[in-house]
Amino acid sequence: RRAAAAAAAARRAGASGGTMNTFFSPAGGGLFLGEICANTSNTPQAWYNPGEGGDWIDVFLNISPFAWAYLGLALSLGLSVLGAAWGVWATGTSLVGAAVKAPRIKSKNLVSVIFCEATAIFGVIISIILLGKVSTDGNAAILEKNCASVFFGGYSIFWAGFSVGVTNLASGITVGVSGSGCALADAQDSSLFVKILIVEIFGSALSIFGLIIGIIQSQNADFTTN
Amino acid sequence: MVVVFQKPGGLSTFNMHDGFAEALVRGFRLGFLSENDYRSILQCENLSDVKLNLQESDYGSFLADVNEVTPSIVREKALEKLVAEFKYLRSIADEPLASFLDYITYDYMIDNVMLLLKATLNNPDVDVVALLKQTHPLGQFDESVYKSIVAFENSAKGYAELYQSVLIDTPIGKYFGRFLAEESHKASQDASAVQNLLDNMPTTKLEASLRKLYLEDFMHFCQVLGGETGDFVTELLKARADAAAINITLNSFGTRLNEPESRRNERMALYPSIGNLYPEGIDKLSDVGDESELASILRTYPVYRVIFDKHQRGDKTIDDAFYEREVELNELAFEGQFNYACFYSYVRLKEQEIRNLVWICECIVQRQKERTNDHFVPIFSHDSDFRKQK
Repeated sequence: RRAAAAAAAARRAGASGGTMNTFFSPAGGGLFLGEICANTSNTPQAWYNPGEGGDWIDVFLNISPFAWAYLGLALSLGLSVLGAAWGVWATGTSLVGAAVKAPRIKSKNLVSVIFCEATAIFGVIISIILLGKVSTDGNAAILEKNCASVFFGGYSIFWAGFSVGVTNLASGITVGVSGSGCALADAQDSSLFVKILIVEIFGSALSIFGLIIGIIQSQNADFTTN
Repeated sequence: MVVVFQKPGGLSTFNMHDGFAEALVRGFRLGFLSENDYRSILQCENLSDVKLNLQESDYGSFLADVNEVTPSIVREKALEKLVAEFKYLRSIADEPLASFLDYITYDYMIDNVMLLLKATLNNPDVDVVALLKQTHPLGQFDESVYKSIVAFENSAKGYAELYQSVLIDTPIGKYFGRFLAEESHKASQDASAVQNLLDNMPTTKLEASLRKLYLEDFMHFCQVLGGETGDFVTELLKARADAAAINITLNSFGTRLNEPESRRNERMALYPSIGNLYPEGIDKLSDVGDESELASILRTYPVYRVIFDKHQRGDKTIDDAFYEREVELNELAFEGQFNYACFYSYVRLKEQEIRNLVWICECIVQRQKERTNDHFVPIFSHDSDFRKQK
């Protein structure tokens, strides 16, 4: 298998002659593609013409799916927490300022902060779910597994994490900005609190959409099939 | 040229730096006297009852250490409360909010300088300490500045000296500098005209020019800040500029400035170059000779037509009509969140409230409560004229 991979690499190196080719297709054909997936029945190699030489598909196919999976994990957690923190910053300053002259608002308006916090918790939940789907066997043990499903697993976990992260970012900022308005309105007239809370609830629903879709996206990710 | 390194944030980033300050101002908004407060004050027979009634409001025990309450003491103490709140805001403010709040105080600095200049010109041996008590607390200078103003001599050279030695270091020094530069430019063309003007009405021209330069500078600053702050505060400043232009014209009737040869030369230079009246309205205003001409020009501006009609019918003085308009605009400024307009409006509305309070106290002291509505402008009230017409 190594010989075939080397031959494939040499063919590619000879055919294009461009600098990208030699950089992204090192001798040996690149670790993941050349060594691990070469000549298996469902390899991505079947998806492109080897004679054409190095191309962007070489770049992507040589990135380990584990890189994609853990990047998705980081995005889901990091962006969710960024959104939640931004929201708490926006609503917390208004809450503290308005409570100076209207101290009665301070307990009720903590609900806004809690809604922002919930966004971060959704991010953590998804991260844990996604983490469970990634096999801990590592690159070497993938040798026996189905190459296509490994790639699918990596990509689906990345995009699930990304969609959850970005929706939670948007939701966190939304809840923060409307929570700020809620605190100020409550200070002026306490009957407004419940009405504006409904706006915040709708803002919070955005992160739930992300959660649902993220779970569906990553449902079939499975690093472990043979 | 104004350099602003940090601009106020937009919808999602404003609270990062200025959220606490804005929420604080909106808390202070809760402290405005309501219709019920005014009604209960109006039922008082003397000022000690007023003091008791005000204890229920946000003013609380602001008159606590005062034995003999007079309207001027009420004004002084109410201003102290405003200054305490303003200083608190200023102390927690980040840039550029801090610069914005400073700009608000320059207005009162101009008032204070003009107060001292006028007093000195009328009476060279004026009592500085008594004068200092009348200055507005929001625009305070060092005492040395005040002493130098009192000691200056009334001549072109005197103004230049005053500027170089003392005023150049104050924040309003740049307005003085620009005014003197323009005057010396004119003097190089026609020396007698300047001396004439300084002899006859130095303070009117000086005050109008300083106010004009200040409004233009503030407007430029707000436009550099941009965003909603730029939009809203410039509207408020434009209204002030228009009021200034119309007032200058109205006050010039019967004085030297109204003579046909000095209308374009001198009076036009006092009009601010910002505002809804600028440039066509200002152009037309420059030729106006009496009230009927003024009325015919203002007919094309619906807002000012209404205001001038009230003045001509005698319902309200022109000042009160403009105060009502200002209150209407400043109340609207509180409608939008995440901009600086509420800070400016808060100070202006508080000033109006203090005027209201002092006027009511005067009416009570002189036992003429029926005259209360002459100079009273309701704030955040459903009784406001502009609300009732809707």
